[in-house]
Amino acid sequence: MDTPFLDVHDLAFAYGRGATARRVLDGVSLEVSRGSVVGLLGPNGSGKTTLLRILSGGLAPLSGSVRLDGQPLGALTRRALAQRMAVVPQETRATFDFTVLEMVLMGRYPHLGAFELEGADDLEIARQALSDTGTLPLEHRPFATLSGGEKQRVVIAGALAQASDILLLDEPTTALDLRYQFEIMAVLKRLNAERGTTLIVSTHDLNLAAALCERIVMLKQGQVLAHGPTADTLTSHNIRALYDVDADVRFHEQAGHLTVVPLAGAR
Amino acid sequence: MRTALSSLLLAVALIIAGEARPASQSSGDTAPRRIVSLVPATTEMLYAMGAGSRLIGVGSYDRFPRDVESLPKLGGLLDPNTEQLLALRPDLVIVYDTQAELRQRLERARIPMWSYSLKALPDVAATMRALGARIGMASAGESAAGRIEAQLRAVQARVAGRPRPRSLLIFGRESGALRGINASGGYGFLHDLLELAGAVDVLSDIKQAAVPMSSEMVLARRPDVIIELHYGEAWPANRLDAERRVWSGLPSVPAVRNNRIHLLTGDEFVVPGPRVTLAAERLARTIHPDAFR
Amino acid sequence: MSRQATSPWCLWPEHADTVTTAPRGSSVRTRLLWTVAGFGALALAAITLAPLAGSTDVSLARVFDRTLPYADNIDAQIFFVARLPRVLAAALVGSSLALSGVVFQALLRNPLASPDTLGVSAGASLGAMLAITFGADVSLFGLSAIPMASFTGSLGALTIVYGLSVVRRSGTSTMVLLLGGVTLTALLSAIMGFVQFMADFTQTFRNVRWMMGSLDVASYSPIVAALVPTAVAWGGFATLPRVLDLISLGAESAAARGVDVRRAERVALVSASLATGAAVSLAGPVAFVGIVVPHLVRLVVGADHRLVLPGSALFGAALLIACDLVARTAMAPLELPVGIVTALVGGPVFLWLLFRRT
Repeated sequence: MDTPFLDVHDLAFAYGRGATARRVLDGVSLEVSRGSVVGLLGPNGSGKTTLLRILSGGLAPLSGSVRLDGQPLGALTRRALAQRMAVVPQETRATFDFTVLEMVLMGRYPHLGAFELEGADDLEIARQALSDTGTLPLEHRPFATLSGGEKQRVVIAGALAQASDILLLDEPTTALDLRYQFEIMAVLKRLNAERGTTLIVSTHDLNLAAALCERIVMLKQGQVLAHGPTADTLTSHNIRALYDVDADVRFHEQAGHLTVVPLAGAR
Repeated sequence: MRTALSSLLLAVALIIAGEARPASQSSGDTAPRRIVSLVPATTEMLYAMGAGSRLIGVGSYDRFPRDVESLPKLGGLLDPNTEQLLALRPDLVIVYDTQAELRQRLERARIPMWSYSLKALPDVAATMRALGARIGMASAGESAAGRIEAQLRAVQARVAGRPRPRSLLIFGRESGALRGINASGGYGFLHDLLELAGAVDVLSDIKQAAVPMSSEMVLARRPDVIIELHYGEAWPANRLDAERRVWSGLPSVPAVRNNRIHLLTGDEFVVPGPRVTLAAERLARTIHPDAFR
Repeated sequence: MSRQATSPWCLWPEHADTVTTAPRGSSVRTRLLWTVAGFGALALAAITLAPLAGSTDVSLARVFDRTLPYADNIDAQIFFVARLPRVLAAALVGSSLALSGVVFQALLRNPLASPDTLGVSAGASLGAMLAITFGADVSLFGLSAIPMASFTGSLGALTIVYGLSVVRRSGTSTMVLLLGGVTLTALLSAIMGFVQFMADFTQTFRNVRWMMGSLDVASYSPIVAALVPTAVAWGGFATLPRVLDLISLGAESAAARGVDVRRAERVALVSASLATGAAVSLAGPVAFVGIVVPHLVRLVVGADHRLVLPGSALFGAALLIACDLVARTAMAPLELPVGIVTALVGGPVFLWLLFRRT
């Protein structure tokens, strides 16, 4: 087993201070190896979003450490971290009328100097990213006129143009309808296969996690409930413990991966 | 039953008759003894006629003569203190013709009032006469008006025949800068005073009482004399010098080049009452100093 | 070099594209050059032509006639004292207000934001009003007290809004700023109403006239004085263009791209407020320039702030110079306050923009 690419050790975080402090993460540890696809599961309020924000360097943990390729996150400059790790938020709303290409070119920001303009190579990287997500024909269209699925693919392309080492995705398919959910999943699978991009996907969609992820981390009330390979972790027992829902988990021949069917609310 | 009905009809008729009285110059007592004057000009006129003792209240901006200091101040054009005014139980109230709300309230309270409005210089004497007639002192009003007219004619005669310099009369400016210049235009009593004092108003063609002026306008109009009016406390000499120096940025203006910028202080320039004669004389002295040696 | 997308995962064979190194469409560099050249030409034309026009006929030959002593040369004085300072002031005020508008719209992530939104403009107006009403009509260092008081007022408002931005917790920061700004504007307007109430007739007249805006500075010293905070503000603006693009997509995504969001927001807030304060204390509150110019420029150059900022600065200058020209010639020999012209022009344009969006 190679050294973990992303090593999270005993992370703790709380909002607020003193008596009103709200503990959101407690003793969270996990390891992500290079090129893997990890799913982060948990009900609302379990601390998934906070964990992602700490992993991307946006929040400083109360205690514990995060290491990227052996280096603590704090030792990296914002810029250096942004060159290796990109975030795909749940929804992107553009206040102003940027074109698709402009949106993706913004991903090149950490690679450029203070007043440096994008050059031909940046343009090629951006267009390659668009191509990888199947959105190159849309490059001159205004971002706001795209469908939900197209928008999300463009945002992923922007994240790719920024950094293709690790992508952190915060519920990437929650706001999309079925067809686009499938599109996104296919894009992510392809990225991982072709570029070797490490993916950490926070999601509510158990079937997406089953289809996409090789490993699962389950978070409940700020603590790791279970983690490991998908087949071992995504079990009825764990789902009951995590969501208070009885579910049937079985391998689907045609789909080629596990599927989860909720059956009843617990007790 | 029938007597009740006719009493009712009589009462209704009386009320209607009462309401039918004309609003503004409501005839009441022809010799009012408890007069309130919200207008500084009419306050001074009443004193000039010798009716000062009949005043029981004045406006907040009244300062002349000194006797008004002991009288209650009842507000001005924008903020008349109606309650205090009514409490004094006046039998005549002199109001601005634009004070519509106040006039309505006075009507409802059945208090006689007299509407004041001013257009130009000749109205000062005309107002004096009309006011005199209203308070039953027509002859006193007539003679006071006559005095005003005579004094104005005297000033006019004094400067007659002399060459009339092109003059600019400014009544407001940001201190220390040539900004926010407000000048008297070709209309109103200041304009009339200027022309009477032996000058030609450079803004005669603009028929407005107040004209906001730009520096380009001053340069284009090239006045020979610039008179700036100032109210309140008289300024010390160094302040006056500083304000005059502000004009040095426009050396092509004859008034600047020939050092004919004059700053005059005094509220006779804002009150179009009996003291317009003073204002006229001061303006004439400023414009034609050699006529007064 | 070219590659074909032939992976089995390709769901969109009809979109199998060839990526070449020849970029289609213009690069940012080219567009920036065109933006600066185009709007720059407009601004240059305005600056050179506007002083030649006015309510009085001026002969250019006489203006530059060296044989005539300056003190006697009316045309030269009209040109150099009455008109040129006005045009320069219009350029300064127009560009500063337009830039502030762009920055506030990005900072607050709201295309309806303007230099007036956070109360800085109201603070400047209150300062001027206090000076006009209560100020002992003093002048300091050869400058009228009113611009100094006005700028101080804007600094006061900035301090309050800055305090808000520091004290707030992370999260819905722009909402707090917006609400705080709107509240501050309402509060300052109420205080201004009270000051008006206390003012006598001539002071009210002067207050009202000041609020309509005027560019007739008649001297270069107020412009030089306003240049000091303006230069600081523009220095701040220079660091912002790309950062504003990123922030306008959301603070989280900007942070994930390596932007120091807090610092950038503060630089944006302080710079835009200084520029607004300097502009309003020079010319009074001039309506609509700050909100309309950014939108008009975006119609031409798109949303990239590296283009919108320089474009807005140049177009704002040109527009205000043009509005001032209309203000001083439309009703010659009388002058309209410039704020009325910008409102009469800007209002309908803004309505049109709003209709266009829907």
